Amino acid sequence: MIDPAVAEVQERPAMLELVRDRRNVGIAGIALGVIAAWLTLPPVLTESLVAPLIVAAVAVAAGVYAILGNERRVGWGAVAAGVVGAAGAALAVQSSSDHLHTVFVWGALLGATLRFATPLVFAAIGGMFSERSGVTNIALEGMMLTGAFFAIWGADKTGSWAAGIVIAMAAGGAFALVHAFFAIQLRADQIVGGTAINFLALGVTGYLFISIYGSNGTPSLSDAESIPDITIPGLNHIPPDRFGNFLNDAIGQLNLMIWIAIGLLFVSSIVMFRTPIGLRIRAVGEHPRAADTVGISVYGVRYGAVTLSGVLAALGGAYLSIGFVHSYNENMTAGRGFIALAALIFGNWRPFGAFGAACLFGFSSALAQRLGPAYGSQYDTLFQALPYVLTLIAVAGVIGRSVPPAASGRPYKKQ
Amino acid sequence: MGERRDAAPPPTYRLRIAPMTETPVLELRGITKQFPGVLANDHVDFDLRRGEVHALLGENGAGKSTLMNILYGLYHADEGEILLNGKPVKFSSARDAIQAGIGMVHQHFMLIPVMTVAENIVLATEPTKSGIFLDHAAAAKRVRELSRTFGLALEPDTKIQNLTVGQEQRVEILKALYRGADILILDEPTAVLTPQESVELFEILRTLQREGTSIIFISHKLNEVLEIADRITVLRRGKKVDTVDREGATEEGLARMMVGREVLLRIEKPPAQPGDVLLELEDVHVRDDRGLEAVRGISLQVRAGEIVGIAGVDNNGQSELIDGITGLMKLAAGRVLIGGKDYTGGSARVMLDEAGVGHIPEDRQRRGLVLEFTCAENVELEDYRHEPSSRFGWLFPHRFIARARALMKEFDVRGGGPNTRAGTLSGGNQQKLVVGREVSRDPRVLIAAQPTRGLDVGAIEYLHQRLVTERDEGRAILLMSLELDEVLSLSDRILVIYEGSIVGEFPPTATEEELGFAMTGGKREKAPAA
Amino acid sequence: MNERPPVDALIPPDEVPPGNVPSVARRLAFYQRAGGIVVPFMTAVLAFVMGGIVVAVSGHNPFTTYWGIFKGTGLDWLIPGLHASDAATNLQQTLIVATPLMLAGLAVAFAFRCGMFNIGGQGQYFLGWYVAVIVGSTFTGLPGPVLIFLAITLGALGGAAWAGIAGFLKATVGAHEVITTIMLNWIAIWVGDYLFGVNGPLQVAGFNPFSETISDKAKLPVFWGDPVLQGLHIGFFIAIGMLVVYWAVLNRTTLGYEVRAVGFNPEAARYGGISVRRNYFLAMAISGFFAGLAGAIDLLGWKFQIATADIHQSQIAFVGIAVALLGRNTALGTFFAAILFGALLTGTSTRNDALTIFSPELAGNLSLIIQGLVVLFVGADVLILYLWNARRKLRAGPRKAQA
Repeated sequence: MIDPAVAEVQERPAMLELVRDRRNVGIAGIALGVIAAWLTLPPVLTESLVAPLIVAAVAVAAGVYAILGNERRVGWGAVAAGVVGAAGAALAVQSSSDHLHTVFVWGALLGATLRFATPLVFAAIGGMFSERSGVTNIALEGMMLTGAFFAIWGADKTGSWAAGIVIAMAAGGAFALVHAFFAIQLRADQIVGGTAINFLALGVTGYLFISIYGSNGTPSLSDAESIPDITIPGLNHIPPDRFGNFLNDAIGQLNLMIWIAIGLLFVSSIVMFRTPIGLRIRAVGEHPRAADTVGISVYGVRYGAVTLSGVLAALGGAYLSIGFVHSYNENMTAGRGFIALAALIFGNWRPFGAFGAACLFGFSSALAQRLGPAYGSQYDTLFQALPYVLTLIAVAGVIGRSVPPAASGRPYKKQ
Repeated sequence: MGERRDAAPPPTYRLRIAPMTETPVLELRGITKQFPGVLANDHVDFDLRRGEVHALLGENGAGKSTLMNILYGLYHADEGEILLNGKPVKFSSARDAIQAGIGMVHQHFMLIPVMTVAENIVLATEPTKSGIFLDHAAAAKRVRELSRTFGLALEPDTKIQNLTVGQEQRVEILKALYRGADILILDEPTAVLTPQESVELFEILRTLQREGTSIIFISHKLNEVLEIADRITVLRRGKKVDTVDREGATEEGLARMMVGREVLLRIEKPPAQPGDVLLELEDVHVRDDRGLEAVRGISLQVRAGEIVGIAGVDNNGQSELIDGITGLMKLAAGRVLIGGKDYTGGSARVMLDEAGVGHIPEDRQRRGLVLEFTCAENVELEDYRHEPSSRFGWLFPHRFIARARALMKEFDVRGGGPNTRAGTLSGGNQQKLVVGREVSRDPRVLIAAQPTRGLDVGAIEYLHQRLVTERDEGRAILLMSLELDEVLSLSDRILVIYEGSIVGEFPPTATEEELGFAMTGGKREKAPAA
Repeated sequence: MNERPPVDALIPPDEVPPGNVPSVARRLAFYQRAGGIVVPFMTAVLAFVMGGIVVAVSGHNPFTTYWGIFKGTGLDWLIPGLHASDAATNLQQTLIVATPLMLAGLAVAFAFRCGMFNIGGQGQYFLGWYVAVIVGSTFTGLPGPVLIFLAITLGALGGAAWAGIAGFLKATVGAHEVITTIMLNWIAIWVGDYLFGVNGPLQVAGFNPFSETISDKAKLPVFWGDPVLQGLHIGFFIAIGMLVVYWAVLNRTTLGYEVRAVGFNPEAARYGGISVRRNYFLAMAISGFFAGLAGAIDLLGWKFQIATADIHQSQIAFVGIAVALLGRNTALGTFFAAILFGALLTGTSTRNDALTIFSPELAGNLSLIIQGLVVLFVGADVLILYLWNARRKLRAGPRKAQA
């Protein structure tokens, strides 16, 4: 008798190759779609639409090929990239090259993208831990806001940005612990609990902000109270000049927290998929009863994961207040926690996926910021809405469903 | 997550003592467990010898699972003690039991579908590289070794969601062995298996036995128990009746101990007087949730005034067949005719309202009732949209209540009135409410799926009698049951379903052996109940 | 397999209290008797007490603070002879705020009854704003009552359509409504920002990010108080009427029956011939209808014009979540909860000059804290029950408390 499991494994390599091929074609299609638009922008600045349209058509074809091979997510991505690329190219060709030159300074755009993406990356990865363990966390917004306030308060009181970060992490963790207690111990609805935490965070930070700083706002931060930038010298001497300048603009002077976020990305990916801890977190999020029966403490894992999510979201907030903006105002996160949630979903609950989504969303913010002055502010709002529209499309399943962990949002009752 | 301990020693370290030594490796003494209103275990004694298969036999609700959950640390006994190798032990969680070398294969598998075989098996006792990283290679290697030793034929890198039910069960067994279990509890392991898979399971159990594993085998199927067990303990209503050796035990004797009376219930019923064909299926095909063909070309007829029983092992397409007839699942192919009219592709509402199909569902709590609704509201589940219950979309709750009161009286539903929440009724009364609702709608065709599952004898008797009455009213009744007794005692004709096809038709005078043979696809040389 | 203790069947899974409880039946009886009033009441009390502790810790007197807030709500108007001179205007303000809260609460409650969490009331509320302001400032040739009817109806339908997107996605591809409605909230915000912002297609002439102002004919008549100083408009009666409609639809129509059946047990509903998908869509759209109605009434009642800054600040429909939860998704409960939160918001607003010793900005955040605590505690009524029981045990003596 041929065992089906064995038979399947024997067939596998050939199948995998084929799927991989289609997937790669799809990814290439996405790249081509981007290139189609890029051709019309500085430095190439093609004035004719012929070349971009041909490239865009190839991108769409690649996408269709991938879709036919059942690589729907990547395939639809390529089709969308092709269409959007062609449209972007058409718009750009009509625009004056002066305007294009002021907006599309690639090095600065990339740098700004990373700056906008960083708070999202922290919160999204935090959210990943929580949701992978089976606790829905829509309170990332509140935990981030808490981090932003306590970072600046801590830095201001102690005179040290490092202490500010630690205090922010503790505060975010404390709020997360409240969420964890209600979601895990009391088995309250996790959406309701998350909503409550968002209210509470808004109220508590607002209350403290006004009773401590009043109408004057937070004092200006000294260098010792701000998270430092990391300057990489000599980047602009890398030949060719244009590339050197690009590198210098992009990564020559980024905040420490941005590099930490990138490090966190790798660490969290390894922890989640290459260590026993990650395996246990995922087991608890997929099938808590199964994890319980082999002796994993479901509550313990969930408490840990939710608390970590608060700590990380608070780090994102800390970067925002003492690394990026250098001041605090009420409700300063302004929905970034929800964009982080969107990035998490868009990235299919994976660290690199969430990072990619955060960068896409960050790029749209960076672009919005530069488009406004050149073209008028009504355009930037369209880019502000982009993350939410894309996420809506992602969960609607048009480009391959985003599927959450099986037990996400469900309280677990010990026997 | 506690201390990181390496995986259990590989089976080569296992004690290879000759099987059937007389020292019990496990002893349960005077276990008592009281649930509110129910004495689930009443001073039960049980012992297990090394290398034996000890069957725990009893009807549904006899206290088997409670006893095992106590042993496995999931419940705590009110009284009594557990001795492991002669020493008293106390388990406060499953983890304690696992560490003491007890493994349990639950009826509902505790496996994570999106993870691989190896990941599921090593979970919580993962081998690591440099103390941090998961060592996939080592895990796969150990799984492969164990799998070979016990003849389980499992590939470590396959995802659980791509396995068959039988393979999943083997993963569960391997999971327990990997954790060093030398006592294995199997909770109704064959309930979900095809006959072929059951044969394979028994092979595996014999291998395990040879390797020195002691096995507790929970079942309510007599033939299985006689095939695999060395000793058999029978529970009835929470009490131990007796422990007997397989040698000398007979099905009749065990059955008497299980139910506590001489003859199994056979209902008295006049001969059927079949009329017109009311339900007719022509080459019906249905795909299950995973897109696999679960019903493969079934054709059958049910006439007015007869009960046609469908016998078969669980998961052979019965549920999908019923969902196909009642419009709850789409047909992949074929036709459904009710009273000669084609209703193929009709929605559940069309089937209920226009075709006149009544449906007593398999699972009354998941499907038959809205437990949070009152009895009156539940009675209207299919009629709220018709006059007199409502008019132009406006409900008349007092009419609900009047109808429910009459219906509850007629069908002897006790434990509450029309305004009682259905969830507070006992299982038997809930089922009577469902049956009453379906029958009172005066259906031409009545589909009864497992109508007496999990009920006490009184309720079973009542419902059986009622089904016969409804037959004599001229309804066409299609009865699906996993209990062979029920099918035999109620049906006028019996169809046997196997892997989505009807493989044979029998008169009600057929023996269990004949049916059992057909239910296993007729592939085995010996009938299982021989 | 059937050896689960049968009492488990007595209690639906979400209500099973934790731990080993001596008598589940007693507990259940307690639930049924006390669940109606005690839990929400204790929740509110607990939240206010904890809010008071926050006030005390930050160095203020909680009693004078709460007294100041109470004066600001105008609820003292109900006490003859004891009320301040501005009590009537304050009470009008409280009821003006309570009006959209009732409707936003109903929006959340209706979706809850169908087993869904509509967290997108805010976006649907904005759609009500947008449509009402467009209708009210465009079709100015119509007679007043017609214009008002048109603006309110279309505004509510705008909300229904916006929520309907989430309902449609839930019904067709199973997208989780919490995620989709959160996304739709933000899309609604940015759409408004685009429409009425600087250079936006619907911006009023000039340099300010405002919409046009609606015609005077479109403004809702005021029946109590000075129309110039925001008196209580007839939208209040529309909201009261909707409470009745909500109750009737849910309990007296086949639609409501279906919605409740789907909410409790979709599989049983499907078995009974009810289209689960259709009900997901409908319930979501009706939910959005209530939220859109709230927006339209607010706009025609006192806002008259949209500033994009308001779009970014309004939280009213989020408070609706607290209202629905505290009101236990019933019409009557929603009414009282809306009055409570309307009073809280008014009493802590910057216009409350009775708050002499406590900065109104602080008070505004205090009300956010209290809202948060209410939602937190209502979401975990097990905790409230636990505290309630602990109190009883304490009263019964220490010996029993140990058992």
